[in-house]
Amino acid sequence: MATVVAPVPGRSRWLVLMPYVVLALATLPILVLYVWLFYSSFFPRVEGFRPIGDLTFDNWRFLWDPASVPQMRNRPPVIPLTVNTLLFATLTSLISLLVSSMAGYAFSRLRFKGRRVFLGGVLLLHSFPSVTLLIALFVVLRTLGLYDKLVGVILVQTAFALPFGIWIMKGFFDNIPWDLEMSALVDGAGRLRTWWRIMLPLVKPGLLALGILLFVEGWNQFLLPFVFMPSGSQQTLSTLVRGILGEGRFVDYGLLTAVGLYYIAPVLVLFVLAQDQLMRIYAGGVKG
Amino acid sequence: MRVVLEQLTKKFGDVAAVRELDLEMRSGEFVALLGPSGCGKTTTLLMVAGIYRPTSGAILFGDRRVDHLHPKDRGIGMVFQSYALYPHMTVAENIGFPLELRRAIGKPERDQRVREAAGRVEIDDLLDRRPSQLSGGQQQRVALARALVKRPDILLLDEPLSNLDARLRHDMRGEIKRLQKEIGITSIFVTHDQLEALTMADRVAVMRNGRLQAYATPDELYARPRNRFVAEFIGTPPMNFFPAELGSRNGSVVARAEGIEVELTRAQLPRGEARQATMGVRPEHLSIVSPADGNVTGEVYVVEPMGREQIVDVQVGERRLRVIAPPGFTGRIGDRVGLRVAAERLHFFDPTSGERLS
Repeated sequence: MATVVAPVPGRSRWLVLMPYVVLALATLPILVLYVWLFYSSFFPRVEGFRPIGDLTFDNWRFLWDPASVPQMRNRPPVIPLTVNTLLFATLTSLISLLVSSMAGYAFSRLRFKGRRVFLGGVLLLHSFPSVTLLIALFVVLRTLGLYDKLVGVILVQTAFALPFGIWIMKGFFDNIPWDLEMSALVDGAGRLRTWWRIMLPLVKPGLLALGILLFVEGWNQFLLPFVFMPSGSQQTLSTLVRGILGEGRFVDYGLLTAVGLYYIAPVLVLFVLAQDQLMRIYAGGVKG
Repeated sequence: MRVVLEQLTKKFGDVAAVRELDLEMRSGEFVALLGPSGCGKTTTLLMVAGIYRPTSGAILFGDRRVDHLHPKDRGIGMVFQSYALYPHMTVAENIGFPLELRRAIGKPERDQRVREAAGRVEIDDLLDRRPSQLSGGQQQRVALARALVKRPDILLLDEPLSNLDARLRHDMRGEIKRLQKEIGITSIFVTHDQLEALTMADRVAVMRNGRLQAYATPDELYARPRNRFVAEFIGTPPMNFFPAELGSRNGSVVARAEGIEVELTRAQLPRGEARQATMGVRPEHLSIVSPADGNVTGEVYVVEPMGREQIVDVQVGERRLRVIAPPGFTGRIGDRVGLRVAAERLHFFDPTSGERLS
């Protein structure tokens, strides 16, 4: 952490405030967008930043009366889409957590043939943009019979999330002293039990932080569900937002902002609740 | 349980950390592995524990060869330098962990044995705490209780006292020694502190560069060090050394060094031929006398009062000798003093091989 220097009275008080002023100005546009998104969803129309008409919940009708919203007519209902998105985000993060924590442990602690090559390979995979693999993935999913199925997209998303997860978890395991592990071995535990009873509890902050990041990533993922689940029932919320946006000539901004807000609300809540955990992934390490 | 190491060798790549180590520990014996850092003492301990696999050689517990066994199958308890307490478990869970892994021991018996082990090291009132809420000394006790709870045949201690402050270290030294004798468990501990080794162990194995230098009781190591390295390493302040010349005069052996001339008994150097040697004398075997009475004279270089005694550095010719003087000594820097050498306490080593002569 930065050292706190007691402010000298007078001129330097401005120096202390400077960073806040700069940061506030830089954050302002983003903040304005969020506020705009929020109130736009409660007015019939917004021109620029000026709302037109009276406060209304009309834009939110898609939740309780989708039939009355023309843009929603040929689409699957919102609730199953939400469940799909939730399933997608939860399962991808859980599977990634399990695999990353095991692989991270192995990379951190075991010395096996090809360890360095694997580690390098994992890093290389991380730098691959998913777009470049779409066609190959399409062929693979088709062959396996997983095309247009939620399971297939979950597996693909997990695969893309793993390199990051493995490296993060390896870092957390690296910070655990060897003594603890030797001690567990002498105490009578095998490798698997050492991992489960001693190592995993010590990287819990890492698991939580990584879990949240992966969940958010899954929740926000658009490309993979859009490409690999074209038919209606298996889609996610991100594809719904895109559907409304790409409706044609007339975009109903009221509806779009309401659906958008509905879509990002869980993520915002999660971020607020989990701020402390998320900080740790960058602060790194295990608490003493 | 008797422990035998036979021709034990461990190489990391091309570097040999331990070379052809032969060591035998009797059942119930408390043995210290002593040496400067990098001498291979911890590597040896980790091989006994089963964490490192020996490159060659054998480890026997009793008559059973164990060097192919996993740590969990060796019947050992171990205390680590860092204590290695599991931070997410309470004291009771830490102590109980080795038992948790044994199916034959049910929960009630486990609880009872945890309390018993905790009682032995006097931490019964801390069982619900977490390691982070304990002082260094208390953590050390928890580590001991965890090592002993499964009633191992052999107890291994890796620098058990080095993380404690000086006063606590003194207390724990006595306590670990007493506990070891009470239980009668064969114990091996690793230390770089010769005082710890001398005060606690029944026998001390001195190591350097992966090789055994000496293996003897503390008394013997101190009184008759086998080579120059051991002589230098054991004892504080360390022994004074100087090149000497051995010759005979009127039928007795005489040693000459830096203006000191001492007559020796036949028993000290049975083969009294004339030769070069390294002479060693411990600070406590030199005494400060008036310049006329000493074997040699010198000038006080510095005086360090230690309470019970004083360490006086005396400049004799080119060399500076450390002498232990009683608290009453009032010499000042620059004073001329005489030094008397206790001839029967002199040590002689071969100047090239460093081996003890006699």
